[in-house]
Amino acid sequence: MINLNLKYYCFALLVFISVWVSFLPQSGWSKDDLAQRLLEEVDKNLWANTKFIDGRLIIDNGRRIRTLSMESWMEGVTKSYSYYKAPARERGTKMLKLDRKLWMYTPHTDRKILIAGHLLRQSMMGSDLSYEDMMEDEKISEAYTGRIDGEEEMEGMKTLVMTLQAKRKTKTYQMLKIWVDPIKKIVLKEEAYAKSGKLLKLIHFKEYRKVDNRLFPRKMIFRDMLKENTKTTYMFDEIRFDVDIPSKYFSQSILKR
Amino acid sequence: MIFQIALKNFLRQGMRSFLNVVVTALSMVAVVFNLSLYNGFQDQAVRNMVATDVAGGHYRHSGFDLLSPMEWEDQTFQTPGVLTSLPATDKTEVLVLQGQIFPNRRLFPVQLRGLEMGQSLLDLPFQKLEEWTKPVEDIIPIIIGKQMAGKSHLHIGDTVVLRWRDRFGAVDALDARVVDVVPLINPRIDEGVVWMRLDHLRQLTHREGEVSWVAVKQFQGEVGNTEYVPPNELLKDILNLIEQDRKYAIIIWVILIFLAGISVFNTQYLNIFKRQREIGTLMAFGMAPSRIVRLFTVEGSLAAFSAVGVALVLGSIIFAWFQSVGLDVSHLAESQIPIRENIFLKIDPIEVAVSLLVISAIMIVVAWAPVRKISRVEATQALRGRAIT
Repeated sequence: MINLNLKYYCFALLVFISVWVSFLPQSGWSKDDLAQRLLEEVDKNLWANTKFIDGRLIIDNGRRIRTLSMESWMEGVTKSYSYYKAPARERGTKMLKLDRKLWMYTPHTDRKILIAGHLLRQSMMGSDLSYEDMMEDEKISEAYTGRIDGEEEMEGMKTLVMTLQAKRKTKTYQMLKIWVDPIKKIVLKEEAYAKSGKLLKLIHFKEYRKVDNRLFPRKMIFRDMLKENTKTTYMFDEIRFDVDIPSKYFSQSILKR
Repeated sequence: MIFQIALKNFLRQGMRSFLNVVVTALSMVAVVFNLSLYNGFQDQAVRNMVATDVAGGHYRHSGFDLLSPMEWEDQTFQTPGVLTSLPATDKTEVLVLQGQIFPNRRLFPVQLRGLEMGQSLLDLPFQKLEEWTKPVEDIIPIIIGKQMAGKSHLHIGDTVVLRWRDRFGAVDALDARVVDVVPLINPRIDEGVVWMRLDHLRQLTHREGEVSWVAVKQFQGEVGNTEYVPPNELLKDILNLIEQDRKYAIIIWVILIFLAGISVFNTQYLNIFKRQREIGTLMAFGMAPSRIVRLFTVEGSLAAFSAVGVALVLGSIIFAWFQSVGLDVSHLAESQIPIRENIFLKIDPIEVAVSLLVISAIMIVVAWAPVRKISRVEATQALRGRAIT
């Protein structure tokens, strides 16, 4: 028991010193400030002015597995354009997000559909993600206030466990719990809770790799905790930051054959 | 005299007359049965919907459409004072929102319906919800209909996760306990519907004082920004559906009358063909062709008149038996037809009289049509049996 406690305190001290040293220039901050600063650093790692992703969405509904392959271009947090390459049924499907509006174009119907309002809360192509989850357009440091709850070891890494409370009542998930590596400033795991405290979604960020001086996961695994045996894996096969994106990609005129 | 001769001839025809009468009578019974069944069907569907949902109309947000669940959350309103002050026998407040349950950890989208407790306007057996006194902090009491219970595999006492959004859009979830599974005669408020106490639903979604509609016993005049939707409008789809079905039923009606008509027509045609010598003799004795036509027409029409009598006797027996057993249409509940119990005939005397008159008139026409030829027949040709070939 004493050994365990000693081990715990040593680990806590180590993590605290790491975080402290990491933010040394701004020393004098409170623990809450540190938590907020850590969220900003996590955002800095994930967000860029522009991004290109060549990825796959592997949807496992417990009975069968579907793989959607797509390319996405993103500018800031408000603009994104995705083009679905596979499977054959979805090939040519395009999604354009501009601010809080999302348009979907399907080549079979040759029509674009505006997905807005409550439609955004529906499951996206049968996955564990809603359109709203997919087009989440806020940095966590801006949407949530963080609190460091403690430390935990995860996959051989020392992590800080943080509870995030939404700043606004309109945020879909009012509470998040994240496991952050304070040294690398990356999130390893995220849990989304209902207001009542019931666990709703679980996201694992796996296989971080270095891309242009950033650490970015190779895959994210989403699980709807209210459903059984379902998961959606977002594989980032290729990711590039600060790329030039033609302006036509963020125009509705692209939503045609 | 013509009637007496016609009656004698009619009776002499024996089996042929009997078959004509039976076919016509059965057609009459079938037509009246069909009409009465639709009346009973409509009557019961309307009664069920009025008793469980529609009442004397709804006060709603203008543009509210139950078939557009994506818009429910934006079309709630604070119950106007005029309606709040009505007694529990005259109004029921209802709040409808989207939700999801997860029986056996599978997603099942539902309609969350919060019903005002203590109301007696709608006939809904929700005593178990009224008896619930604990606050909804850890568990929410819910009631579901039998059809919903079957589809979701939920039973009394089962606990299931319920997820919803509050008025700000934040997602929330809690365990819900099925406190009762009730038989609901209207499947529209059964399948896919989870019933809750209105105060609980308001509390969970931060919608204090809000409703989707207020069902009232009768029109209360213009109330604030709400729109009054009368029962006929709320029942429009089911009334249109039954009306459409009635139109299709006319096809069966026409076939039945056609068969009976053919039977009489055939008999009349055979009569004038076989009885040419009789026609010639009547003409030779000085009977005017128009009177002979009348004689044969009356003779043919007697099938119709006799059929009315036989139909009344046969119909009374069949209808009395049917009213004691009814027709099981519970399978229709799957297609959201608001009837789950057996349906019974609703006999409208005017409709019966009109139907019998129409059928009789058609029979008289088909009895007359083939014998018109007699007016152009020559007596000598008829006596030789060569007038009508």
